[in-house]
Formats: sequence, structure tokens, C-alpha cells
Amino acid sequence: MKARFNGLSVVKIFIYAFFGLFLIIPLLAVFLISFTNEPVNIIGTFTDPAVFSSTIDKLKAINLENYRQIFSNAGYLDSLKNSLSLALVVMVLVILICIPLAYGIARTNMPFKKTISALCTIPLIIPTFISAYAFIIMFGRAGWVTYFYEMLGGEGMLIDPYSMTGIILVQVFFFFPYALWPLVAAFKISDVTLEEASLNLGAKNWFTFIFVTFPLAIPGIISSALLIFTVSFSDFGTPIVLAPKDLNLMVVEAYREISGFFNWGGAAILTVIMIIVAALFFWLQHILTKGKNYGSVSGKPKQQKMVTNKVVTRSLSVYSFIIVLVPLLAMLSVLLQSVATTWGKDLLPSGYTLKHYQTIFSTSLGNIQNSIVLAIGALVLSVIIATFVSYFVVRQNSAKMDFMTSIPLVVPGIAFGIALIQTFNVAPLQLTGTAILLIIAYTIRRLPYMVRSTMGAMRAIKQDIEEAAINLGATPLTAAITVIGPLLLPGIAAGSVLVFITVIKETSISILLAPPEWAPMSLAIFQNILRAEYYSAAAMSVILVALVLVLQGLASYIGKKQRL
Amino acid sequence: MGSVIIENMTKQFGDFTALHNINLEIQEGEFFALLGPSGCGKTTTMRCIAGFEHPTSGKIKIGDKEVEKIPANRRNCGMVFQSYALFPHMNVFDNVAYSLNIKQLNASNPVKQLGIYARLLSKRLGRTPKDIQEKVMEILKYVELDQHAERLTSELSGGQQQRVALARALVMEPAVLLMDEPLSNLDQKLRHSMRNTIRTIQQDLGITTIFVTHDQEEAMSMADRVAVMDKGNIVQIGTPTELYSNPLTPFIADFVGTSNILDVEVVDHNQLNGLTTLKGDSFLLQSTNTIEKKQAKAVIRPEHIQVLPYDTAVNNEEVTVLEGIVVMSTYLGPTVRYDMKVGNQEMIVDTTYSSGTSIFEEGRKVKLSIEHGRVLLI
Repeated sequence: MKARFNGLSVVKIFIYAFFGLFLIIPLLAVFLISFTNEPVNIIGTFTDPAVFSSTIDKLKAINLENYRQIFSNAGYLDSLKNSLSLALVVMVLVILICIPLAYGIARTNMPFKKTISALCTIPLIIPTFISAYAFIIMFGRAGWVTYFYEMLGGEGMLIDPYSMTGIILVQVFFFFPYALWPLVAAFKISDVTLEEASLNLGAKNWFTFIFVTFPLAIPGIISSALLIFTVSFSDFGTPIVLAPKDLNLMVVEAYREISGFFNWGGAAILTVIMIIVAALFFWLQHILTKGKNYGSVSGKPKQQKMVTNKVVTRSLSVYSFIIVLVPLLAMLSVLLQSVATTWGKDLLPSGYTLKHYQTIFSTSLGNIQNSIVLAIGALVLSVIIATFVSYFVVRQNSAKMDFMTSIPLVVPGIAFGIALIQTFNVAPLQLTGTAILLIIAYTIRRLPYMVRSTMGAMRAIKQDIEEAAINLGATPLTAAITVIGPLLLPGIAAGSVLVFITVIKETSISILLAPPEWAPMSLAIFQNILRAEYYSAAAMSVILVALVLVLQGLASYIGKKQRL
Repeated sequence: MGSVIIENMTKQFGDFTALHNINLEIQEGEFFALLGPSGCGKTTTMRCIAGFEHPTSGKIKIGDKEVEKIPANRRNCGMVFQSYALFPHMNVFDNVAYSLNIKQLNASNPVKQLGIYARLLSKRLGRTPKDIQEKVMEILKYVELDQHAERLTSELSGGQQQRVALARALVMEPAVLLMDEPLSNLDQKLRHSMRNTIRTIQQDLGITTIFVTHDQEEAMSMADRVAVMDKGNIVQIGTPTELYSNPLTPFIADFVGTSNILDVEVVDHNQLNGLTTLKGDSFLLQSTNTIEKKQAKAVIRPEHIQVLPYDTAVNNEEVTVLEGIVVMSTYLGPTVRYDMKVGNQEMIVDTTYSSGTSIFEEGRKVKLSIEHGRVLLI
């Protein structure tokens, strides 16, 4: 018993050290740099006396001057304002769009409900920079929508994708599923008995909706809204592709400061502000959902009366199709572009070819390999860490570890990337530009999802199951192999597929940290888009999405098996 | 098979003492119940026997072996868990076969062990040996589950799951069978028939059984002897009839069955007729029992009080007659329960109800007759 305890304690220390080194110190460093305006080598401070004295000098020079300047610097202030208003508009639009859709799915018998629900998951599998790029194919100067628009007598572009409007539209149509499912749950909270009570008291149907069903859903609506705000605010893929030069957004500004001007102080301040805003909204959402675990999702299902009025259900159905049509068309456009010989300003490409795929498989096979190798690396690391973390959290009630592994949820990818670069670009731990740092970054960023998956499985295994095995004669090791292991496996498998998918989709970390020899698919597509090599970008995007789809299928297959 | 002896066992969790100096002697083949309210230490006692908890001090002997140094997996105590703790990823057969497979595993060399592990993880990788198969099917037949051997445990009803858990514990031929509130997850009717099933199997196999429960009816109807526990202490050990007719403390009088427990003062003890006179709040009682204390408690079972119309003349030297008022009457089918007030004292009275008799309505003045011999003194 004692030896086992000690072995686990060592593992625990290792995990704390890992997070301390690769998450806490980098975030701390960014925070310091935002005051000193100069790079601070925290790790070096403790290993090299020379660095130590220089750090002390820098710390002595700490002042708020930097922050004061920032708020007088129109560029930074603008970028904060723009980012906030972008997130705000996206939040409001997404909620407005989702309410009828969620109501239709939750409370009506609208036709094609299952198909619509399935189509609503499409946006989730597509990395945002590919969605943004798809919008260029559709709405750009040479896009087919623009062609259509001019044919109908319009002039110029219907919507300029390279604008705030373009960014808003992409985010709205590709982020709405994040809000949709919580909203569906929220609309199911209202019990049929409550609504019948309202009708019984003489209220009309619409009156009941406005004063009973809707108010009950409000906490769910607000919480989804806050979630969308955070997602939109932290999104890097859309703005980096679509933001025009004169539109300052925090994520783009931070990226430019670090990769263009090596302005450590500026990037640090932007990073700190980004984390504060994201953490604030995440925290607000957390308080709101705390204790309100959508009673209807788990436990005893409540009875719902479904609206069957044909006018209502049919119009909701048509409306829903229009909403899901946009991401669907966007994906089809990418698919078409990937097999087009040339696709000018026309409704369809002028000819079809598989040449772009050929190019990819002859020249860019390395990127696909890189993506897979990096994802597998992150997966292995995540599985090991997450299994132990969930053991500590579930069986030893380690709240500290639970909190620490949740931190990455609130740190926008671009902010985390900047923090890592600043910390590891100098001796003694010069890791910037190595595959190792890339894998570690992916791992830490996606670990919260993995931990949740394994923790769920671990919670489901009650202590007495383990005791029963021991009571029947099994040693703790045998019990782990024959009982705990098999029961934990589905959770680990589902979590690792999720990690694999998100790593392949990952944009901000890849763009910031990946060295050329380790460029993954997402970075390759991004560079192709920047170089206006649209056809190969499209082909690579299709391969990426196909890969994600296959894995997603695998995940839901495992999930189904798990429930049996 | 074996007896279980516990000597001076104390268990502390930090500052909290869960068990105070427990002493128990359970005979071979005995059906022994640990009865008490939740948090009384009954489950902790059982977990100490099973080896999941380690006593802070004291000894536990199973058979004639001290088990202190023997880890839980080698104590050979079959346990039926409250939640059954069936392995959800195995079917009925594999659940029951588990201990036999483990036995074989522990007796094999490392190479063979790998084969057994493989077989346990996937059926495609190996077959269960014939002797194990036969043994499992035999016990499954015994608990009438041989038809369901290939089912997943989640597909079974509560009663069937219970029997799988029982079969899984019995197949290892344990020295002691431990059952932790095994019936608490079943509905009322099933609980009754499972009581009989468990008792029959226990008698049939003659296996020493320790049964933990908070349900006095369960303990009384199944066990040979019962130990009543409260706040980490054993309050009384005895056969069900002993506990019922001779409770040692007001706690037991109240916990085992229902009792009227009255604060009384011992006024006088008449050596001639052997009667003790007791003064209560607003009444005088007589009892054939004696007690040394001045302040005592008189215990009267509700069914030992007779309710008579107020105008009945009672000429019986053996009874005390009190005057009471009906506060509430509850019709329970075969019996009627009255909440009475005798002066300021509340009392519960149960009378058998046969058709044709009338129920005394609320507010009615009645006479209560209590035999002297039915008044216990604690």
C-alpha cells in the first residue's frame, strides 16, 4: 500500500512540474513582460547568475508606464474595442438565429428534424480558417455568389468577405452549433405540466411561450451567449484570413506584434488583456451554469408537448434549412474548388481535375505526415497525463489539480502561443521551433477535454467495483488489468479521438510555433491561402476535413459501444 | 467454513471513533445480523472483516486464523455489496466465473498467466476451462439463473442481479459470507421473497453468514442472532425473541419494534405480591419486574395494551387500568393504531381489528388495561 502511494506521489509531482513549467511560468512571464516591456527569462533567472541580475534590474524598472501608453495608443485600444464589438455582435446574432432553430428541434415535430440536427454538426468539424477561406470562394471578387448577384443586377460584391461583416458572418454561421445544443436543452426545461397549467389558467399558446417557456430558458440562453462571446473573442482562424489591414483585432494585432515586429511588450500586454477578457466571460458562464445542470438532459426525462401546427413546423423547417445551407454550401465550394481546373467568376468551374490532389500527394505529403505525427504525440502525452489527473481528481479529490488542468480553457490559443515563445526562445530551455514544444503546447491546450472524458469514465467506476474484484481474490494489479482498465478504456479512446481531431484542426498554435520542417496541414493551408494558391489550399482542406470526419465517425462509434 | 471472532476491535478515522471496543463471537454456520441505524458502525465492522478497513486496535479471527496481516484479496470472505458491484463489462457467467479464473491465475506460472489475462479481456482469445464452466453453471442453476448466463448484468432485474451477486460470492466457497444491506435496493415484495431465498440457501449450505442491515424486520426474520449497534458500540446481542421481549436499553426497545417508553419513578416494591409500583407523569403503574434504580423507564409494547370502552368494569388483579383519550385512530387493515393521551403522557396502542368491531372515534374517553407482566423496566 505504502509503496504504491509513494509511486503515485512522484507522478503527481511530475504533473505539477509539467504544468508549472509549460503553463504557469509562461503565463507569469507574459504578465511580467507586460510591465517590464522587455523579455524576462524566468527559467534562466534560476540557473544563470548573469540572467538573474539582469532580471532583477528589469524588475526594478517595473512601472505602469507601459499600460498607460497602451491606452493612449490608438491601435491597441482600437483592437480591443473591435474585438469586443465583434464578439458582441456575433453573440447577439448567434442567439437570435439559434432561438427558432433550437425551439424547432426541442419542441416541435418539424419535418426533417433529424437531417437538420445532423447538418448542424458540420460547422463544428471545419477549422475556422477553412470556413473563412470558403467564404472568399463564395463572396469574393471572383466568387460564385458575387456572379449570381451581378447576374441579378447587383453591383460589386454582395458582401465583402475581407471586412468586419465577413468575419461576423463566418463566425455566426460556423459557431452557432456551440450555442444550439445548450439552447435545445434549455427549451426542454419547461415541463408540459407547466405549460398546460398556463393554458388551463386561460393563456393562449403564444402567451405561454413568451411568459412560461421562454423565461425558463433564459439562464440557458445567457450562458450560451457568454460561451459564444468567448469562442468568438478567442478565434484566430477567421480574422487572420479575413481581417483587412485597416481592421485591428486583438488576436491579429498580437500575432503581428510577435511575428512581424518582435515587440515583446506590446504582444504581452495584448495577451494579458485577451486572457483577462476570456477568463472573465468564462467565469461568468461558469457561475451561471453552476448547479443548473440542465435537469432534463440527465435523469428522468420530462414530458414535452410537441407543437404540431403545420404552418409553424414547416416554416421552422424551411428556416432551419436556410441556416444550415450556408455552411453546407461553403464546404461544397471548397470541394468544388479542389477539383476545378480553373474557377473564375462563374457559377461553376470551367473544368474538373484531380491534379491538385496529385500535387498535394507528391509535394505536401510531409504536411499530412507531420499533422499525424504531432497529433499522435499530443495524444499519447494527453492519455498518460489525463489518466493520472482524473485518478487524482476523482479518487483523491485533488481540487488543485482539477483547477490547474482547467486553466487552458480560458487562455486563447494565440495568447498561449505567445507566452510559450517568450519563455522558451532562450537558454537554458530553448525549445521554440522544436516539435517537442509544439506537441506540449497541443497537449496542454487540449488536455481539459481529454481529462473530462477520462474523468467521466473514472467517476462511473464506483469504488465498490474495485473492491468486489479484490474481494473475489484479485490483487490490485489484476483488478486494474481485468476490471478498471476495460471500464476506463472507452473514455480514454473517446477522449483521444477528440484530442487528435482538435490538434489536426488547431490553427493559432501551429501558425505561431511550428518550424518549417514540422509544418502541419493547417499551417500549409494557411500559407497556401496567403500565397493565393487557392486550389491546393482547397484540396488540402478537403483532406483535412475528410480526416476529421473519419475520426469523428470513429469517436461516435466508440461512444455508441460505450453506452451499451 | 469457519467461525468469526472479534476481540476488542476499535476503529478510528482521524479524530472520529467509528468503532468502540467491539467484541463478537459468531459460530460456525450461524446467520448473524448486525443491526443498527445508519452511521452506527455496522458496515465498518463488516469492512474490517473483509479487509477493506484496518482496525486501529484489536483482533479479528476467521476460523482459527488471525487475519490482520492477510490482505483483502486472500481472506476468502465472499461479499455481497449493497450496490451488488457486478462488473458491467462482463456477462452473468463471467461475473460468477471471475473468482475461479483469478484462483487459476494465482496458481499459474507467468506464461500461463498471460493467457488467462488475455482470456479475461476477450473471449476470442481463449476458452474457460471445463471445470470452471461446470462449477459456474452449477451455482447458476442453484440460484435459478442458468438460463441467463450469457446476458449482460444490466439486462437483468434487481432480484436477478442480487442473485448473480450471491452466486458470485458463493462460487468461491468462502469461509464467511458477508452481506451489506443486500435487500435495500429491491421493492417491498421482492424483498420478502429474497429474504426467504437467502435464508434457505444459507441453511442449505450451512455457511457462516454476517448480514448488515438497518431494517429490524429483516434482521429479526432471517438471523439466528442479532447484534444491535449504536454509535460505534454493540448495545445488545441476542436471538430475535430475546431482543424483542427483553431489550436492555430504551434505544433497543425503540429500534427493535415500537415501544411506549415512559419516564417513571419507582415508588415502592411490595415483597408479598412481587409488584413494583411506578409513578409516571400523571398515572400510577404496576409491574412484576424489579429494578434497582429510582428513576427508570417503563417499556410497554403497543400491542400489549388493551383498549376498552370507558364504562367497562375491570376486576382483574393482574392488570393496571388507566384512563385515556383517543387523539387519533389509524386503520391499518388487520390492526388499528391509536394515538392516546393518558394525562399528559402520549401512548401508542395497537389493537387487532376484526370486522364487526367498531373503532373508537377521536376524542372518546376509554380505559386502557395493561398486564403487570408486560411492563418492562430499564
